[in-house]
Amino acid sequence: MDVSTEAEVKQKATGIVAKELSSCQDVDGIDDGIILMINKEKLLSLQLKRLLSSLSDHGTLHLTEVETDLVQTGFLLNEAIEKLSTSFMAIHEAVCAQQAIVDALLEHSASSPDTAEKLKAAQAEVGLRVNSAVTGLQFQDMTSQLIGRTVRRVNGLRDVLAAVNVSSADMAHEGDTKDMAALLNDLNKALDEQSAKLESVLWKAVSQTHMESGDIELF
Amino acid sequence: MAKSILAVDDSGSLRQMVVFSLRAAGYQVTEAVDGQDGLDKAKTQVFDLVLTDQNMPRMDGLTLIRSLRGTENYQRVPILMLTTESSDEMKAKGKAAGANGWLVKPFDPQRLTEVVKKVIG
Repeated sequence: MDVSTEAEVKQKATGIVAKELSSCQDVDGIDDGIILMINKEKLLSLQLKRLLSSLSDHGTLHLTEVETDLVQTGFLLNEAIEKLSTSFMAIHEAVCAQQAIVDALLEHSASSPDTAEKLKAAQAEVGLRVNSAVTGLQFQDMTSQLIGRTVRRVNGLRDVLAAVNVSSADMAHEGDTKDMAALLNDLNKALDEQSAKLESVLWKAVSQTHMESGDIELF
Repeated sequence: MAKSILAVDDSGSLRQMVVFSLRAAGYQVTEAVDGQDGLDKAKTQVFDLVLTDQNMPRMDGLTLIRSLRGTENYQRVPILMLTTESSDEMKAKGKAAGANGWLVKPFDPQRLTEVVKKVIG
């Protein structure tokens, strides 16, 4: 805090107190004597309360926006994967049906062995691509788990900010150094507790960083 | 007669991929949306194999395995885990619960089919 002189303290205090009181009474009614009574401690106390309250309000607002965006992303991914999967299955069925027709035609035609080999190779290539696509299309399962975990963390952070708000509201309106120290101590405890609580429910189930197929182990 | 498989996963798209892969290999696949649904369906029919995810609402995979192993019909039925979880700790828990194998997502359809064939033919 850079407030050092009595004049500066008085000037800042005037502004803050005027703001604080403007909601409940006429600012013009503030007596100079009252302002002079406000010392550095009370000014700091007021500012601390306002800072914590502001941190909680703004933080909660931003986290709500983050949560909304994440949930929306989850919905979009879900719908996208449903459409992709359905289209993919339909394409695969169509390719299989086409292949069956080609096989039937080959059986009754005088096609060269070379053509038959080429068709077999093309069929094998389709099979490989299909496997690769099915592996890749599983991304939504993993991303939805990660989004869910992030949403739980956002909710947990909101609880942490709510604890900040409650603690600061509990402090006397014009608290002294002792009140401020007690408030900061309570806040530290609340933050530690909330963080520990949050970590305990945020088991990370997805550690994959690529979409290659995973390990297989038979017991 | 085609062998029957119960596929348990809360992700609709993942179930779709499992069904697609295993039906193409000639298996009859029944879907369940979570562990509880899987347990309910397992009571109405004895499947030849159960393939289950771990993290699901209502009932997770490990609880499902323990519940199934507690019933007479499922003491010897192969149960495979198909999950994003890949830690040794979780695999050990799965083994202790009665799982016969652990497959880490994402899966390759061909490899999945090969494993299923190896386990139930």
